[in-house]
This record gives sequence, structure tokens and C-alpha cells, in this order.
Amino acid sequence: MIRAKAGGLEIIFSGRPFTDAYLELRERLEGAPDFYRGSNATVVLGEAPSADELHRLASTLSGAGIEWDGAYGLDSTVAPLPKRTPRTEAELSDSARSLVADFEGARKDLAGRRQRGERRSPPPLIAVAPRPAPPVEPASAVLYHRGTLRGGQSLANVGHIVIVGDVNPGAELVAGGDIVVFGALRGVAHAGAQGDRSARVYALVLEPTQLRIATTIAAGAERTGAPVPEEAFLAEAGDRIAIAPAGHPPHLKSTAEQL
Amino acid sequence: MTARRIVVTSGKGGVGKTTTTANLGAALAQRGKRVILVDADIGLRNLDLVLGVEKRIVFDLVEVVEGRCQLRQALVRDKRFGENLAILPAAQTREKTAVTELQFAEVVTGLGDMCDYVLIDSPAGIEHGFRNAIAGAAEALVVTTPEVSAIRDADRVIGKLQERGLPMRLIVNRVRPEMVRTGEMMSVDDVCDILSAELVGIVPDDPEVIDTTNRGVPLVLDPAQRLGAIYIKIARRLEGEMIPFTQLGAGGFFGRIFEALRAG
Amino acid sequence: METQRVVSVPSEAAPQLEIHAPSAPVESQKKPKARGRTIVVTSGKGGVGKTTTTANLGIALASRGAKVVLVDADVGLRNLDLVLGLESRVRYHVLDVLEGKVSLADALVRDKRVQTLYLLAAAQDREKDDIATDAMIGLIEQLRGEFDYVLIDSPAGIEMGFKNAIAAADEAIVVCTPEVAAVRDVDRVVGLLGNRITVQLVVNRIRPALVRKGKMLSVDDVNAILRLPLLGVLGDAPDVIIATNRGEPVALDDASETGAAYRAIAARIAGEDVAAPQAAEPEGLLDKLGSFFGGRR
Repeated sequence: MIRAKAGGLEIIFSGRPFTDAYLELRERLEGAPDFYRGSNATVVLGEAPSADELHRLASTLSGAGIEWDGAYGLDSTVAPLPKRTPRTEAELSDSARSLVADFEGARKDLAGRRQRGERRSPPPLIAVAPRPAPPVEPASAVLYHRGTLRGGQSLANVGHIVIVGDVNPGAELVAGGDIVVFGALRGVAHAGAQGDRSARVYALVLEPTQLRIATTIAAGAERTGAPVPEEAFLAEAGDRIAIAPAGHPPHLKSTAEQL
Repeated sequence: MTARRIVVTSGKGGVGKTTTTANLGAALAQRGKRVILVDADIGLRNLDLVLGVEKRIVFDLVEVVEGRCQLRQALVRDKRFGENLAILPAAQTREKTAVTELQFAEVVTGLGDMCDYVLIDSPAGIEHGFRNAIAGAAEALVVTTPEVSAIRDADRVIGKLQERGLPMRLIVNRVRPEMVRTGEMMSVDDVCDILSAELVGIVPDDPEVIDTTNRGVPLVLDPAQRLGAIYIKIARRLEGEMIPFTQLGAGGFFGRIFEALRAG
Repeated sequence: METQRVVSVPSEAAPQLEIHAPSAPVESQKKPKARGRTIVVTSGKGGVGKTTTTANLGIALASRGAKVVLVDADVGLRNLDLVLGLESRVRYHVLDVLEGKVSLADALVRDKRVQTLYLLAAAQDREKDDIATDAMIGLIEQLRGEFDYVLIDSPAGIEMGFKNAIAAADEAIVVCTPEVAAVRDVDRVVGLLGNRITVQLVVNRIRPALVRKGKMLSVDDVNAILRLPLLGVLGDAPDVIIATNRGEPVALDDASETGAAYRAIAARIAGEDVAAPQAAEPEGLLDKLGSFFGGRR
């Protein structure tokens, strides 16, 4: 009834009445009280347990040093589901219903946390609070990247970003300073992300999905004709992004000048 | 909450979920319903592309969930449909595990207060992304093509929908009547029989549809596209109208479906 | 309680309990003697022809005399067995092997039409998270010791199933159809494949007439974004759908053009210099700037 999986133990209660399974588990744990100490476990439930039974399970597990991550599953052998009939809510007791509601999401979320090295998991039955956005890492003045940036990849830098290669649609660049692409810029580029309205975006081929400079956003326009190197910047009034042919890449101001 | 919340799913990838979501949403919007489309395919977002609004995305679903913007701020309106059609885009640089089922369901609930229909474009498969997509829904549309692998996957998905108690209806996509006639392709009849599902749409195969999705032009907007009319019919059936299915030359199923409609 | 042998269970985090399981997982910890090539067939977008390509390339390679095993990594939504027409002969699947219920040899289904082709089916009633990545790697390593080619049919998407499918592969074939959404998804996947895996492109379902009318992307359009070595281009013939429904892959059919195209791709994989209709990938800007700036990845 106890299986090891990549994220921890799986304790299988399904396939028989809760009491039987619980007694067997308790026997096993009492027979080898330290064997599983320090592990995490999820419980696969069959029959819906009462609040009392859950409580006893929890204390038995903690007595054996097993951290209980969550419970899931309703075994069809115990509560048989005819193949094409929807299951009604009424079959579950209150405590079980709250378990079932987000077992999948909670389980995955916890697995994800574990994978990211976060050992301690919050109680599994409550809604998970949203993660705060990861801060942009303070980095060198210029972030230099060689190679093509593929869709779904993103680079962020407090200073400038220089790419030697293409930036494909679906890729994202966020720079506090300027953005220079020695290649085709087809993704989303945000220069002056911390408010610098003098920031510029330069590319050999400027065909972005979207451009952002400071707080101004512009959708990429349809381009015709052979591409020439171009630069994007905030126009005089500051509410439009203008594009002009550029003979050479911009001189990247040092961060001291900028801030 | 006032809106109907419908997830469009399939199991098998590439059968037309996103195209269906976009075009059905456009059809409903054209008929005066307020529609919000939600792209649940985090990391592989395509709904914004198909709808042609990619360039106007500022915030996405993940940023809403992480509290970095309001729900309303993340909606991108399709100006071709006035106030009737908007999309909540997925994030492209994140993974599906960035959002839990509960969070997704909460977002959909929030959207439900703003419109008449929420259509959720599910990713392929039955993993985390799929589970998120169905978490917020009260009904499902299963899209399949008349091919064995698509049907097998649809069957698996239908089983999962049943487990959750979600009522579902079927759309059979990419039917080629000439191949059905020669027996080289399954008929819609066969598909419905195998899946024991109620049919709500039959969409013929049209290789030019890819061009419209590439260009981001919903079919109902292009009078040259006869498929637009079919999505309007599906929209009307969703609204409760009984519309007979156009005979696609496969003989037999027309009478059978009519039978089913008469039965209610 | 019975005493049990212990095998280290792979994990990224918490202190793990060591549990016993007979066979395969123990071997996975040893350093394997590499032999066969491990190639994952993937795409991101669903329905572009991954499974059909895996099946047909497998047949084509095996027809040349190579010993080939096809692994269906689409747990829960398996289709490789269907496409091959072997579904009635599948008795056991990957998870049965990983859980020690049956030996690898017992689970492999041998194709009766091409004697050196084998299939390891996916489980239909399980979930992709049921397979630990390390276990998958161990299994593939074991297979490569016995086969010339291990082709892994990846599921759609970029979730756990995909990650498991690519974990043990040295090479990847990405399949792309000429549509913007597919190109975007493949690009994402290529980004995720990283630098360890060699990637090549197959463009599927090209209709030259539509390309000429400007109603479909050309191979050049596709590769202008992807910039990958082009392995092959396949048309969009109806015989492929029929073949799939019948479980008779086109690579078995000498009269099929698509079958011939698959056989040409197999030859290229095997290292032959086969002339391709559109062999050269378009020059990316990186190339135009000269080799000074390095490779395309």
C-alpha cells in the first residue's frame, strides 16, 4: 500500500474501506516506526473518510515522521462510476468534498514546489496564494546574448541588452536601458522598462510583434519592402513610438548617465 | 454569475480546438452575445494568433493570477466585434503549472460576471493544462475529426468529463464527404455512435481555413468563406435552436439526426 | 514486515525512502554502453504528424535492416499502436515494465511485416505523471543497448509527458506544418530542447498549389523563423489518413509518394546523401553576418 514515487510516498487507501486500510497502515508504521521518517506522502483515498478519520490518519502519519502533502482520488471500485453517468456531489461528506475540490491542482502545485526545492509545503486543502513576480536580477550594465532567442524565452536586464542573433516571435526582451538586436527582432521588446523615456530599440530587421518604451506600448506595424536597420524611440510628445532608419546602432549610455 | 462557461477540448491535438473556439466565439459575438475567450494553453498560446490580436497583448492570464494586473486590464478586445468579443491571453514564457485549477476556476468565475459566454480553449492532452481548462467550466464541447486516433482520444476525454459531471456535446471537424462516400473515411454517424455523444456541429474540411487562421481573420467576417455560416449554425444550436444538419452527401445520417432532434 | 531490497528512488528534493523494485530501475543507475541512436519526434503543436512520422520512419529504417524500437511516450492517449496496426497485439506497456510487472522483452511487440521493428506501447489508463523522468531515462538507455535506433513518439504540448520524452534523447526531429501556430509552437519546443540535443526539421502537409497561390506558407517561410537543418518535406496526400485508419503505414506501400518521401528521410537519417526537393535552409541573418557570429542555436 505504500509506493515510492519521484516526489515522495504514495499511500494507497483505495480499493477497500477506510478503517481497514488505516489499521493496516498503522500496523506497518508501528512495526517499523522510523523506516519512513522524513518522507513526504500523498494519500490515495478510496472511500470518503469522515473528519475524525482524517484526523487520526494525520496524527498517525506525523507520529511516524511522515509529512502529509495531500490526498486525492476516489477509487471507482469503492464508489463505482457507471461509465457515462455524471457523479453527483451528494455522495461526498463535507470534509471529503473540500479534499476533492482541488486535489489535482494542489498536488501538482506541491510537486512543483518540491521540484523547485521548496521543502515546506503549506496545508494542502487551502487555495494556494499566488507567487509574487520574480524580480529582475540586477546584472551587468550590458547583457550580451549570442544566438537566436526562441519563442517563450525571455531575457531581462536592468541595464542594456544586446543580442547577436534573431529574436523570434513569442520571445521577450525587457531592459531598463536600450535594446540592440544584430539580427531580426520579431518578438516583444521593452526598453526603458524602469521608466527611461530616452531608451531606444535598434535592430537590423525591426519587425516586432510589439514595442514598449517606458510606459508607451505600440503594436507592431505591417512592414513592406526590403528591411533596413532601424531604430525605435519615443516621439516628441512621448505618446507615440516612432521608427526611423538608423545608420548605426545607438551609443549605449553608461548606467551612471541613465540613472 | 451570469455567463455560460464552456470548455472546448479534444484530447488529440490539432483537430481544431483553437479554430473552433475563435470562430464560435466570433459567431456568438456577431449574434449580439458578449463573449470572452480564454486561452488555457500556457506556454503554447495560439488563440491570440488565430484571432489576430497578438500584437495588442499587454497582460496575460498568469499575470492576473499573480496579482500583477486586474482581470479587466488583461482582456484584449477584438474591435471588429464592437464590445462583444474579447480574449484573455495565455502567457507564452511560462508553464502550465504556473496556474492551479483553483486559480483558473476563480479567473473564469470572475470573467463570468462580465459577459454571456466564456469559451475556454483547452490545450491538447489530459495533463495539468487540460485539468485547469475544465476546472472553470460548466459544459464542454468536444472536437474530433473522423479518424481513429482522434476518436480514441476524444473517448478518453469524454470519460474524464463525465467524471467531473460536465455535460458535453460533439463537434466533428474536417469531414470530407467524398471520402466518406467511398468508404475511406468514417461517417459522422459512425463517430457519434462510437462516442455516444450528442452532435452540435459538423464542419467540412477546407484547406483554406489555415490561411484564415494564419491571417487572424475569423470566418464569419469573410463572406467568401462558407464555413462562417456553419459556425453561426453551431452558435444558434448552442442557444437552443433546433437546426437540422446540412446533408454533406454522406446519406443516412441526416435522417438519423433529424430523428434525434425530434426526440428533443 | 518482510525485509525488502532497496533501490534508490530518484528525486529532486526531499529525503527519499528507498524502496525495492525488481529489474530495470537498478540497471538505470549504471553507466550504459551507448550503442543505438535515440531520437525523439516532437512538435509542440498537436496533430501535425508526430505519430505518423515516428511510425513511418521506424518502418523505413527497419526495412533497411536496422534494429528499431518505437516507444510511445503519450501515456493515457496512446496512438502509436493504432497507427502501426498493432493495437490488438499489445499486452503490456511502459509502466508495466517500469513497475517490474513484466520484463522488457515481454512487453515489446514485434512487427510481423518488418521483422526488425518493435513497439513499446504506452499505457492507456494511466497518467503521464506516473512516469518518473529518471525511470524513463533508464529505460531508454537500456533499449539503446539492444537497438540501432530508439524512436520516441512525444505527446503534444510541453508538459510532463514531453519532458519525459526528450529526457533521454540525443537527437530530435521536430515536425512542423506550414501554419503560423505550428511554427510558433515548434520554435518554443526548440528553445526547450536546449543545446544538448541535435535538432532537425520535417515539414509536413505542404500543398504546393496553395503555396503558389499565396494561401499557404512555403518551406522557406517556415524555416525563416526556425532556421533548422531540413530533413525532409512531406505533402498532404489523403492516402496517409486512410493508412492511419487501417493501421498500414504508407512507408510499407511502394506505390505511395508519401511513403517514398519517408524512405528518403530514413536514408538521410542513416547518413546517406539523398537529394531533397528543398535542401538548403534559408540564410538567417546570423549567417549573413558571417560565420564570425557563430552557429544558429
